[in-house]
Amino acid sequence: MAEELLKVRNLHAGIDGKEILRGVDLTIRPGEVHAIMGPNGSGKSTLSGVLAGDPRYTVTSGSAIFHGVDLLALSPEDRSHEGLFLSFQYPVEIPGVTMVNFMRAAVNAKRKYLGEEPMSAADFLKMMRQKRAVVELDNKLASRSVNEGFSGGEKKRNEIFQMAVLEPRLSILDETDSGLDIDALRIVAGGVNKLRTDKNATIVITHYQRLLDYIKPDVVHILYKGRIVHTGGPELALELEERGYDWIKQEADQL
Amino acid sequence: MNAIEALGQYLVLVQSNPGLFRDDPPLLARLRQEALGRLPGEIESYRADKTIPAECRPDTMYAPDYGINLQHLEMTADVASAFRCGVPNLNCYLAVVVGDVVHFTDSMLKAPEGLEVYSLRNVPEKYLDMAAYIGRRGDSLNALLLSDGIYIRVAEGYEIDKPIQIVNIFNGSTPMLTPRRVIVDARPMSAVKVLLCDHSQSPDTPHLASQVVNVNAAEGAHVEIYDIEEAAPATRRRWQLIAEQASNSELTVSSAYLHGGVSANEYIIDVNGDGCTTNLSGLAICTGQQVVSNKVTLRHHGQHCTSRQLFKNAVFDQAHGAFGGRVIVEEEACHTDAAQTNRNILASPDARMDASPQLEIYCDEVKASHGATTGQLDERALFYMQSRGIPRDEARRMLTQAFMTDVIDNIGYEVLRQRLHVLVEKRLNGDAASCSTCATACHSNTTEQ
Amino acid sequence: MNQTPQPPCEADVLSQATSGEYKYGFTSDIDTDIIPAGLSEDVIRLISKKKGEPEWLLDFRLQAYRYWLTLEPPTWAHLKIPAIDYQAISYYAAPKDSERPKSLDEVDPALIDTFNRLGIPLEEQKQLSGMAVDAVMDSVSVRTTHRERLAEMGIIFCSFSEAVREYPDLVRKYLGKVVSYRDNFYAALNSAVFSDGSFVYIPKGVRCPMELSTYFRINASGTGQFERTLIVADDDAYVSYLEGCTAPMRDENQLHAAIVEIIVEDRAEVKYSTVQNWYAGDAEGRGGVYNFVTKRGLCRGDYSKLSWTQVETGSAITWKYPSCILAGEGAVGEFYSVAVTNKMQQADTGTKMIHIGSNTRSTIVSKGISAGHSQNSYRGLVKVAPQAEGVRNYTQCDSLLLSPTCGAHTFPVIEVANSSAVVEHEATTSKISEDQIFYCNQRGIPTEEAVGLIVNGYAKEVMNKLPMEFAVEAQKLLEITLEGSVG
Repeated sequence: MAEELLKVRNLHAGIDGKEILRGVDLTIRPGEVHAIMGPNGSGKSTLSGVLAGDPRYTVTSGSAIFHGVDLLALSPEDRSHEGLFLSFQYPVEIPGVTMVNFMRAAVNAKRKYLGEEPMSAADFLKMMRQKRAVVELDNKLASRSVNEGFSGGEKKRNEIFQMAVLEPRLSILDETDSGLDIDALRIVAGGVNKLRTDKNATIVITHYQRLLDYIKPDVVHILYKGRIVHTGGPELALELEERGYDWIKQEADQL
Repeated sequence: MNAIEALGQYLVLVQSNPGLFRDDPPLLARLRQEALGRLPGEIESYRADKTIPAECRPDTMYAPDYGINLQHLEMTADVASAFRCGVPNLNCYLAVVVGDVVHFTDSMLKAPEGLEVYSLRNVPEKYLDMAAYIGRRGDSLNALLLSDGIYIRVAEGYEIDKPIQIVNIFNGSTPMLTPRRVIVDARPMSAVKVLLCDHSQSPDTPHLASQVVNVNAAEGAHVEIYDIEEAAPATRRRWQLIAEQASNSELTVSSAYLHGGVSANEYIIDVNGDGCTTNLSGLAICTGQQVVSNKVTLRHHGQHCTSRQLFKNAVFDQAHGAFGGRVIVEEEACHTDAAQTNRNILASPDARMDASPQLEIYCDEVKASHGATTGQLDERALFYMQSRGIPRDEARRMLTQAFMTDVIDNIGYEVLRQRLHVLVEKRLNGDAASCSTCATACHSNTTEQ
Repeated sequence: MNQTPQPPCEADVLSQATSGEYKYGFTSDIDTDIIPAGLSEDVIRLISKKKGEPEWLLDFRLQAYRYWLTLEPPTWAHLKIPAIDYQAISYYAAPKDSERPKSLDEVDPALIDTFNRLGIPLEEQKQLSGMAVDAVMDSVSVRTTHRERLAEMGIIFCSFSEAVREYPDLVRKYLGKVVSYRDNFYAALNSAVFSDGSFVYIPKGVRCPMELSTYFRINASGTGQFERTLIVADDDAYVSYLEGCTAPMRDENQLHAAIVEIIVEDRAEVKYSTVQNWYAGDAEGRGGVYNFVTKRGLCRGDYSKLSWTQVETGSAITWKYPSCILAGEGAVGEFYSVAVTNKMQQADTGTKMIHIGSNTRSTIVSKGISAGHSQNSYRGLVKVAPQAEGVRNYTQCDSLLLSPTCGAHTFPVIEVANSSAVVEHEATTSKISEDQIFYCNQRGIPTEEAVGLIVNGYAKEVMNKLPMEFAVEAQKLLEITLEGSVG
């Protein structure tokens, strides 16, 4: 078996003193795609926020080791530099900051972290052009402010575009399918698939099976009341689609 | 000595020394004479003004013992280095005011048809009445102690191709008060841009710069006034823009406070004619112990006029920002559309911001609004940027710069707009006043003409 | 010659509206005990003696009077206030028969009639448990209802004079603690000469089961009214308090200089609602009440809450800024105001929210409506002290203009000395929408009715904050004041 990319052990975390994650265990290896499913309020978005270092959440106990690095000890930007990428469920609008300035700051901060020279303007713009093609974003993007005035589909495509630029080791796609029509979904999923290698891994957080038709998971987890209560193969997602979450809830609540 | 007495001493000085201003040029003598009459009442009124921070009140500002260049002696300044002001690549008609002594450069001497620029000491007889009329308002102490200044006249129907840049420089080893005055007379259907830049070459010497800009925008005239302050912590600046607008005129005033000590800015605009447009904007980045106050009094008399105000402050450290905006729509000013916006970011725990956006409406055919917010940078945006690998401090700088974007984009003059984006970025990066680091020497451009 | 009937033009509608009758402008023929006009230490001693007050209260009055002598009336408001001859006012007028009636049967029938005409049927109020009423006629509290039931719960609701007699320690503990006699000119005057008012004390943990209400009326001619209200809500207590005011139509101006002090302890909540309908003077600006009032609450307790709601339609001149000092952690202050001015009325009103405690929050919603030749100003202060972390304020103040000769002004001041604060202020001023009026007209609604509808819709956000009993009255008042006053 390949080495572990992410190892989460007994992770407890919450918001405003309310515990949401109650002991999450999760192991992800390079090349894998994991789906995390679960009913509303089960803690899916909390898990992605905690891993990315969202200051709204407080970790009370447990650990998350990311290719040997103590993830929870790092600032959000250093987690990014180490290769963690979060595709936000609700990408933030930043008026006045153009996409090109935003991405250049991100790319050069990472290069600085890795001890590399900043990228030249020409190389950077060339890279932007290449990466844009992954999610079919047009060239007007560069001069627009980050996510400002973007449609729902554009925002999600913009997330995947940023993922393409930053080339993360581990991507967490938080409800990337929400609010997308079928065409946008296909473009976004296509982008994710193009970026897959045997070195990186993906966590797909979703409520519905639909996205998993396009991004095939190797492992499916079910998160319920802040714990992973069920782990299985792709067939588990199909079973959920058929039977809903009630049987999971019953099973889990009996424990 | 209390502050009011300190102000009174200037009055006494002038009144008891009839020969103080030898060979007083006629315009200055007239302005001085009128100021003498106004001053006692004006000093009284300073006391009552509680709308601006104490540091920015005229009685506080004028109270320290400053020297005055009564004899109109030339002061030394490295004029060449002054030319490297924060706005290079600017093809302009340039004047440099060292202390309160005006120097015109070659570019100005080659002024095109329709543009006349004079030292206030040499305003031709035929323009004296008009210059005195336009210059009749403003800080009386400024007029009382004035020894020079600039008169700009743009003839009817002429559009001046390039901006007129006036670079104010302070250079001296003793505390000085320098009264400066710019009088702009834009005749009907003319168009002119004036850029004012304030610098200090003696950053540690206390210096009080008192500048009054009088603008007359005649019918259909377009006047743009840009003001950039890149002085030093020891600088105290009292700046007044007093403008009168005739029908169908357009006035744009935009100021950027980048460096300085205490900066008290006042904008007094009377929209007298119909169909006018008035655009006022300002940005201030305040750090350390800086105090910046912008106070607007915009009075609408004419009908069918539009006014827009946008003032933004980012306040760091122990700095103190203040905005006071007063829009008055008089009974006869039907169909006025007035909007005023003030947005502030308090970026440090000890920073302080006061805002007082006021509307006085005496007419019902009106659309008027104002908004003022004081808050912090958007935490969600900060986290989003951090999650993309941008360090928190850099993310804060980028967001602060983005916060200023719409003020800068308001500037209708492309070269200056681009330059200000860079200056603001530099300022937020903590770079020294950019005029000393700027690679392109402005005069190399101006000599190309 | 053929004459086709013309539809009424806007000017007609306006004149109809501005000639609208002041419905409360009657005087009651009640035997009144008035002391001669004039103000001196002797007059103050006389007032105090008539009321049988203890020495400490007389001292308080005299201190206030001596301080008042050193003051000038404030001039910073956007108001033209004619010089007031303070020696021409009688500082004490009480309905005779000063023995307090034991039951309604003993109350002077003319007085009951007065209150019935005001829409405050004491009889009914006594039967229906809607609210408890304290009625203050000229300077003296004449009737307080429902006291027995309230007393069972430990709630004190009585006239101020009575409180001085029965609960001197409570009164002494709180009097002048929120609004000092040194606060301003009118507060000093009130502190010197106040004659009566209401006193409310809600003990720990008690939710007052009914609305407490005071109606104020100036009846006697040549008098001023100087009442004081003191409300104390102890820990976890709740009370909703209503205040209504009317005065007869008189050619001379009458002075009303009141003080309201409120203390809100830990987790307690006080809701204070006012419908102010003092006589506004006639179309030429003759007569009317000068309403110079100092109202302030101290949210001393953690998580305490004070909510001011006011509908101001009356008075020739209004000078009034109900304020909140938010000292306790997490305290909440609210100010909801509708101020309508018509004819020659002048109003300068607003609020102060002083944030001293951390995580304190305040909301200000002010709706100004100006018609006729009136001047209507919002004046406000939002202040965040350096030590107050996590403060939030939202202010919205809108002005609606109904005539070309009126004025609407906004004078907010925002001072933030703590960087964790978020303070927002939004304001708009506009003319009543002709599109909306036309739309109503097209649907068959006459202009004057349409204006009533539109103005009520505009003010709804505030009117909704009023208790039901008041909301209906306030809505009617708005319509009466503004009927068709579109210019």
